[in-house]
Amino acid sequence: MTLYQRMNSFFAFLFSIRWQDIVDVLLNSYILFRMYVLFRGTNVIRVLAGLALLWIFQRMAVALGLIVTSWAMQGIIAGAALIIVIVFRNEIRSVLQAKNLRALLWEVPRNAEMTPIDAIVQGVYELARHRIGALMVFPGKEDLDEMIQGGLAWGGLVSKEMLVSIFWNGNPAHDGAALIQGNRVTRVGGILPLSLREDMPKYYGTRHRAAAGLAEQTDALVIVVSEERGAVVAAKGSIFTPIEDNVALERILGEHLGVGREQRDHLNKRRERKELTAAAVICVLCMAGVWFSFAKGMETLTSIEVPLEYLNRDPQTQIQSTSVNTVRLHLSGSAALIGSLRLDQVKAKLDLSHAARGQNTFRLTNENIALPPGLRLNRIEPAEVKVTLDVPATKEVPVQVDWAGALSPGLTLESASVTPGKVKLTGAQRVLDHIDTVYTEKVPLENLKTSGQLDVPLALQSLGLKVAEGGKEKVEVSFAIGPRPN
Amino acid sequence: MTKARLISAVKMQALLIPFMWICLLAGGAEQGYAADASPEVTGHTIRLARAVMCESIDGYEPKYIAVAFSINAGRISCYTLFEDVDETTVVDHKWYRKDELVTSKRLTIKPPKWATYSSIQLREEDKGPWRVEIWNAQSRLIKTLRFSVID
Repeated sequence: MTLYQRMNSFFAFLFSIRWQDIVDVLLNSYILFRMYVLFRGTNVIRVLAGLALLWIFQRMAVALGLIVTSWAMQGIIAGAALIIVIVFRNEIRSVLQAKNLRALLWEVPRNAEMTPIDAIVQGVYELARHRIGALMVFPGKEDLDEMIQGGLAWGGLVSKEMLVSIFWNGNPAHDGAALIQGNRVTRVGGILPLSLREDMPKYYGTRHRAAAGLAEQTDALVIVVSEERGAVVAAKGSIFTPIEDNVALERILGEHLGVGREQRDHLNKRRERKELTAAAVICVLCMAGVWFSFAKGMETLTSIEVPLEYLNRDPQTQIQSTSVNTVRLHLSGSAALIGSLRLDQVKAKLDLSHAARGQNTFRLTNENIALPPGLRLNRIEPAEVKVTLDVPATKEVPVQVDWAGALSPGLTLESASVTPGKVKLTGAQRVLDHIDTVYTEKVPLENLKTSGQLDVPLALQSLGLKVAEGGKEKVEVSFAIGPRPN
Repeated sequence: MTKARLISAVKMQALLIPFMWICLLAGGAEQGYAADASPEVTGHTIRLARAVMCESIDGYEPKYIAVAFSINAGRISCYTLFEDVDETTVVDHKWYRKDELVTSKRLTIKPPKWATYSSIQLREEDKGPWRVEIWNAQSRLIKTLRFSVID
């Protein structure tokens, strides 16, 4: 294929893109983007990325004709989709339930925007200074309801004093974990799952093991204040980070909650904007790829027969004859488009505004055919159409009976007369020029035994003629039947 | 009928038109069924006294006059009788099946009274409506006889 042909086919492809295709890609890109925004930071995204990779492999297998591989991958993808729903039901539920419609469709979640980090930092160091053990949980994206057992529901605003009082030894709920969401302590005395790790320092107690247990299984940040040493440790994932000072704690909290000091805030926002822009572009590219795979990858051929409409003829003329009344169109396009194609979406039209009286020959081109966007016309059958136009005229012609069949033996049709003897016909001039007589429909003789009269219609339909206004399309036939002479 | 004459152009016609033979005879006067309104008196020289379709001519008279002829008849004839013929002239018998001219035969007419006819041999495909137009020497239509060939 030459470069010119490649360019041509590229532009043909561009022009075949419908507005519906653009909406299709953008809408699904946005859905994908929102899924990313809502689930980012959770394991769902990683699994979804894995699934997308599997899907790409499956499409490649289809393209290469690897039947079993593509079948197996299709099965895996279907199974994996189900598994995702089951495994990540909590995350999915938290996204779908906890958010309002605006948060679901538009907002970029900034959960910890209101979390008073300063108060927490001060509270943590107050606790450390007084050697009061503490366990604070800051949830990430994942739902922790099933991970934290027991405890008391709480709704107190976060403050240094509140934190100190929660973990004060005299408080009945001081032994468990405090769950901090936003600017509130939502639960106190919660029991966390214990880690089974054996590589933890020996001076780490049950509180540290509980922090590790939750951090390993979720995306939450857990802050531990050691009762014995007054040391502060942050647990996230499988990593324990000793906190040296309040600045480090503030940074870790800020990173986890998505906020920080103003300077860092600004950097974070820029980074977030970049991340979201990149994600949006990737989503659009992915969806464009998916669309291309569906819309163009499954290109198929079909042929349909549609009526040819003759338009804009001179009102003084009439169409006397046409070589065809329907045309067969050979189309190509995506299987989805061709599958949903309706006959009323395809029009074949021939403009007769420049046709002259007599026979005209027209070559049918793409301009004669109206197709839904996305479909391409490969061929028209027949490519040529002959149309004969003529002016309407009137002519008076005699009527003749068209007798048929056979009379009974021994009888003779002696005479016959028709009333009226002549009729005025209207129709195409060219037809009328060749007509000197108009015949009746066939009149069978088998049942005629005696003289009589019959009303018989004129045989005009095959000629494309009509009886002029005021005339009748039937004539009265009087006939005399007598015995055949010897 | 004393002036009746036999004009034998049949074989010549058969040579010219395959499957069809035209016989020319003289005969009596009778009117065919769907005659047009064209005048029976034409020009200054002749008057059409009788014109009929028949199966045969017997004793200078048309026999089995009808307007529908069975294909089994084998042959049909158009009989015409002219009177007041003041000089020798010609007439044409033009045979049409539907509106298609099948054959045309020029017949000579002599004073003062002359009968003549033309015939065709029938074939299976000749079924349908027919007409015979009788034209004078001035190419004026004198009369049209209409009939059918049936089973």
